[in-house]
Amino acid sequence: MTRYVIGRISQALLVLWAAFTLSFILLQAMPGDAVLIKFLNPEFGLSADQVAEIRAAYAVDSSVVVQYGHTLVNFLQGDFGYSLQAGVPVSAQLATNLPPTLKLAGLGFLAATLLAVFIAFLSSMAPFAWLRNAIQSLPSLFISVPVFWLAIMLIQIFSFRFRLVSVINPGPWESLVLPVATLAVPIAAPLAQILIRNIDEIRTRPFVSVARAKGASETRLLWRHVARNAILPTLTIAGVLFGELIAGAVVTETVFGLNGIGGLTEKAVGNQDLSVLQAVVVISAAAFVTINLAVDLAYPLLDPRLRNGHGAAA
Amino acid sequence: MTRYRKLLSLSLGLLAATTLATASLAADAPVKGGTLVYLEQQAHTNLYPPAGGFYPNGGILNQITDKLTYQNPKTLEIEPWLAESWTVNDNATEYTFKLRPGVTFSDGTPVDAAAVAKNFDTYGLGNKELKQPVSEVVNNYERSEVIDPLTVKFTFKKPSPGFLQGTSVIGSGIVSLSTLALPFEQLGDATKIIGSGPFVVNAETLGKSLDLKVREDYNWGPAKLEHQGRAYLDEINYIITAEDSVRIGALLAGQADFIRQIQAYDEGQVEAQSFTIYAPGTRGVNNSIVFRPDNPLVADLKVRKALSLAVNRDEILSTIFSKNYPKATSIIASTAIGYVPQEDKLGYDPEKAEALLDEAGYKLGADGIRAKDGQKLVLTSYESLPQPQSRAVLQLIAQQWSKLGVKLNVLAGDAGSKVVDELDPLKTPVAVAMVGRADPDVIKSQYYPTNRNVLVQKGGVSDKVKTFSDDKLNAILNEIASQPDREKRLKAVADAQAYVLDQAYAVPIFEEPQAFAGAPYVKGVAFEAVGRPAFYSTWLDK
Repeated sequence: MTRYVIGRISQALLVLWAAFTLSFILLQAMPGDAVLIKFLNPEFGLSADQVAEIRAAYAVDSSVVVQYGHTLVNFLQGDFGYSLQAGVPVSAQLATNLPPTLKLAGLGFLAATLLAVFIAFLSSMAPFAWLRNAIQSLPSLFISVPVFWLAIMLIQIFSFRFRLVSVINPGPWESLVLPVATLAVPIAAPLAQILIRNIDEIRTRPFVSVARAKGASETRLLWRHVARNAILPTLTIAGVLFGELIAGAVVTETVFGLNGIGGLTEKAVGNQDLSVLQAVVVISAAAFVTINLAVDLAYPLLDPRLRNGHGAAA
Repeated sequence: MTRYRKLLSLSLGLLAATTLATASLAADAPVKGGTLVYLEQQAHTNLYPPAGGFYPNGGILNQITDKLTYQNPKTLEIEPWLAESWTVNDNATEYTFKLRPGVTFSDGTPVDAAAVAKNFDTYGLGNKELKQPVSEVVNNYERSEVIDPLTVKFTFKKPSPGFLQGTSVIGSGIVSLSTLALPFEQLGDATKIIGSGPFVVNAETLGKSLDLKVREDYNWGPAKLEHQGRAYLDEINYIITAEDSVRIGALLAGQADFIRQIQAYDEGQVEAQSFTIYAPGTRGVNNSIVFRPDNPLVADLKVRKALSLAVNRDEILSTIFSKNYPKATSIIASTAIGYVPQEDKLGYDPEKAEALLDEAGYKLGADGIRAKDGQKLVLTSYESLPQPQSRAVLQLIAQQWSKLGVKLNVLAGDAGSKVVDELDPLKTPVAVAMVGRADPDVIKSQYYPTNRNVLVQKGGVSDKVKTFSDDKLNAILNEIASQPDREKRLKAVADAQAYVLDQAYAVPIFEEPQAFAGAPYVKGVAFEAVGRPAFYSTWLDK
């Protein structure tokens, strides 16, 4: 087990380094650079000489290898540098943007899971075929609803029309209701889809018939026997989705005026704000790696067959 | 108050009828207190004052910093503010300012000659060590001299008649020595910008919100304003709300008091509920499209003239905009200093345009696009994100030009590609241009090779230009920037307007306003000469 964990951690570090390096190369390949975008902007109206001086001061024209080494060393020391566009330390930007993102993503994910489980169970317990079909088509509907539209509709209806929640200066919990709902819908869709598929598949397995023959009720059957088996593949997908959630809440953040990593990234990409992007890439990669590691480690807890080494092949 | 309000409504000229109506209620005494909730479309960036041109920055800097002088938005005259009086020598190379006594920054340090000298040394020369760039509005700066604690003298290498107005603009806000001692990359933190303005930064959540608090001891507003003493509001709460429909919805639902950036197509629903649209003009170079004659496709004057004649401004304005967007009648706004109407050069005449293109040798091809010696008349332009509905405007122009047999590709593109491509006339023969500043220097800023260089002449930042340079234009621009005699300077401004249009370098479209909307109970909102809001005299009637 220890060897396994050490192996996974070194793998994770490799992934982090690769993410850092790849993003660095990609950003270098883009036309223009952050200094050009910032200082050739009409807001300054600087002359050629002045721009050249600033470029020299920021050392943007030094060799790519030197810049890479410099950035990497700073990163290893925990120094993320300054955002050229916003004029503040990247660490300060992360400190204001990371907690709200984690809160939103965490709650959104929780809500999505509950919604997915609710839909899946409802569909497997629905008494009529037409009702089952209707419930089973909900995930397709959810995933087709544009997040942007959904967010605006929720605001228009619940905030502006019925004035139930405030979008501007909301309380700490008030501010989360609509964004969490917005985020939960598209995330719940693939989860529910997979859960429904698995439940249907596992129901046809012989051990279910055996359990039923032994007199287990439909509810007990679903909870004790089917659900436990159906949850594993869902967990894998959930790990991937959660990672996406952290970096991918841009639309929700923009519409609700929340700050978060998504919006930060979007702006940084637009302005090629290298230090911000590098920090976001590394943090997102770290989140992905950690969550997937946690998912892998959680497998044996849910499935006794995976608890000892030789059983894992089963 | 009455006089000031009237002055304001007149000065804005473009105000909706509802505001004019409220002006008659000006007998109401302003009420102190309350918080103004202000929804901003974008987060501020670096708050180094010369970067105040970016509207979100200007909207904040205007409340927390004062300037040496105040430009009356109605008369455009320069009036005392932090400077009680000033003298300028005959050839405009020496400016001496006498400062108002007793003014302090919000950190308690005095606004004295030493502080003001350091501000303009920085804005005029830049600070390489701290990476602080020079200010666009301070030209030919040489040095400062502290004559006594309240007298400061600035010396210029060449005549700089625009400097006096330059001390009144948003980019010349005076900040404390402690702020100027910080490296440029730390000046995006609003709490570090220490000014002497009527409001002080109280708290900030980066990229999300900013709280300003009134300064109780503020007693040095522009001397000629009727309102003196502290600002009426207790607090201003800036909240970044990027989405248009959310800003408008929140305003109408009573969750906010004032919003920036409202599109022309949304004006109706706001006015329908008797909320007020404010659309102060920016009084500088009009929203225009410009040509880069280094590109052979637009090197021929006949081609540029034809393209200019084929632009139907009326159609653009009636399709995309509202009454708050006046049609351009010169390269600068009709409210700008030195404006001379040029309507005769800005006609719409598609037949003449076709004839000119025929004359220039561009014949209609089988694909409906004109070509000469195998070179198709296909042009490209990037949309300009800060300009209102830039993409829609360009697309409509593309449609109008397509009737002539000219194709215009409209690109969105990322910021990096745009910056790089706009330096290359071969890639962008057409560009969108606009700049606001209420001084004739603005024309030089826009066209001069070492400034914004919108025509991309040789001698600017771009190394892609082969030959294009217009010495006659540059001579006129230099005259504007350095002619100390007012009459002669205005003559140069008139010459520049006529010359740019005779050469068909630019096709001005409309006078660009900054559009805001406010709740009916928000009173006394003022705008500086280029349309940034000033909340010093704002109060809430509720």
